[in-house]
Amino acid sequence: MIVRTAALTKRYGSFAALDGCSLDVPAGEIFGLLGPNGAGKTTLLRTLLGYLTPTSGTGTVAGYDCRRESLEIRARTSYLPGEARLFRRMNGHGVLDFFARLRRECRRDAAARVADRLGLDCSRQVGRMSTGMRQKLALAAVLATEVPLVILDEPTANLDPTARGVVLDLVREARAAGRTVMFSSHVLSEVEETCDRVAIMRAGKIAHEQSIDDLRRGHRIHAELRAPFPGVPAEFTGRLAALPRGDRGVVLETDEPLAPLLGWLATLPLAEVRVEPVGLQAVYDRFHRPESPR
Amino acid sequence: MSMPHDVDAGGRQAGAAGGRFWNGAVWWKTWGDQKVLLLSLAALWGAFPWLYIWLSAQIEMPAFQNVLLEVIPKNWQKLSGVPFSEVATYAGRVALAFVDPVVVLAATVWGITRGSDAVSGPLDRGTLEMLLAAPVRRSAVFLTQAAATTAAAALLVGVLLASVWSVVSLGPWAGRVEPVRFVPAVLNVFGLMVCMAGISACVSAADSHRWRTVGIMCGFYVAAILAKLVGRLSGPLGWVGYLSVLNAYEPQRLVGGGPEAWSLLARYDGILLGIGLLAYAAGAVIFSRRDLPAPL
Repeated sequence: MIVRTAALTKRYGSFAALDGCSLDVPAGEIFGLLGPNGAGKTTLLRTLLGYLTPTSGTGTVAGYDCRRESLEIRARTSYLPGEARLFRRMNGHGVLDFFARLRRECRRDAAARVADRLGLDCSRQVGRMSTGMRQKLALAAVLATEVPLVILDEPTANLDPTARGVVLDLVREARAAGRTVMFSSHVLSEVEETCDRVAIMRAGKIAHEQSIDDLRRGHRIHAELRAPFPGVPAEFTGRLAALPRGDRGVVLETDEPLAPLLGWLATLPLAEVRVEPVGLQAVYDRFHRPESPR
Repeated sequence: MSMPHDVDAGGRQAGAAGGRFWNGAVWWKTWGDQKVLLLSLAALWGAFPWLYIWLSAQIEMPAFQNVLLEVIPKNWQKLSGVPFSEVATYAGRVALAFVDPVVVLAATVWGITRGSDAVSGPLDRGTLEMLLAAPVRRSAVFLTQAAATTAAAALLVGVLLASVWSVVSLGPWAGRVEPVRFVPAVLNVFGLMVCMAGISACVSAADSHRWRTVGIMCGFYVAAILAKLVGRLSGPLGWVGYLSVLNAYEPQRLVGGGPEAWSLLARYDGILLGIGLLAYAAGAVIFSRRDLPAPL
């Protein structure tokens, strides 16, 4: 595991911004961190990087302790903050030169290539750049840094759809180069499209963790029957959840392959049937709908 | 993209472009940040002694002595810190330039402006987040900025000294007084700059908003002026003056020449530089240990 936290907690007085957060991130994966504003995503990332001292619990990155060895952690990490603010008086080239001088893992030529792919004009002064352009500039510096772990806090916020696509491609390329990418986002579709594994945070805790492969295996079957639903056969018990919808309707959810179910489905008195993947949105809604249990 | 070998080698300093106390990138960035203020103050201090002495020379010495020794009440002497008879000399009149607001306020503005930009400035602007994402020690960021600020202050007092030296050698009072007499006074200005910058940097290290750091330092400066005045003017409350760092800023007492001036300078600058350096050290510790809030 490249990132490991155990009961990591950060309190501000009586308020727990991070509340006993336990998480493992395997090396070489793209790991998505989801949750609404205030769920604790940024606090988790900033605590791991040493901006904040944890109140209790432990957190390690590449085996280094976030409380005592943040310098070693940062030497192995490249981090894009949620709102990347850069030096307003410098131009884009100056900013990239600065980061290349600041840390030797930041490759100036690679940064120029990333900026080019994102369509960024580096000759412009940062103070005259739009929010999206500044985000691209920060991404160029961060993604050109060759370290084992890349942490991106909402990397595609403020970007146009084309640039979003390029960023997601760059994230996949980073994984292909053997790096681990941890990123938080509110755009579920891009997380589902890019990540290998996701964790959903709620009120400072990890509420749910799942691999995207498992998620893709999950299906939801909406069925309208001409007769009452006869119930789930014993052979599928525990692998198939049935949620009644009215007198003749039922929603079946499964994380198992669909093929064995199809024979049984054909025996049901179906008036109408619709099969759809469960999707990240549905999983997310389980934890973040207003009526979801706290 | 390949992984840099020094990252996986387990070296404790892997990736860090600098050590515990120093960072080259931060050094050059700080010079860029302070360039405009540095050049402005250099222009001001380059021109001011010439202008001041040219204007002062418009009043002949006998007339000046008459006003100072006959017209102004004797008990006002307490405010000057030196006897009026010493002020009513060519050296004394040049020394007044060092207590003129143009010099004192510029030295203070330099200290507060640069010191407040140590931590709360970039924290407020949000630029500290990306900087500290790199494997750079906080102490190195803080102390490198301190070194650049101090080096620039040395350059500024160099400009001030060069200007004073040239006007005393070539100006309207050429040959009346030796320019070397003003070196201790100029070094006292340097002491004030380092002291104010150090205290401002220490406050900045604990703060999150630059406007608040500047406000606190302005309050501190006004309090220091008031304490010095109360200490000077009130017999029973004379001890209050010792609470003011400005009590160690007395350039007009340092132009007498000889070993006395240097020993007095050692005392004054010992206090000012000592406080400044202690404040920098405390600021480095505070900054290294504190939580840094996310940019708003």
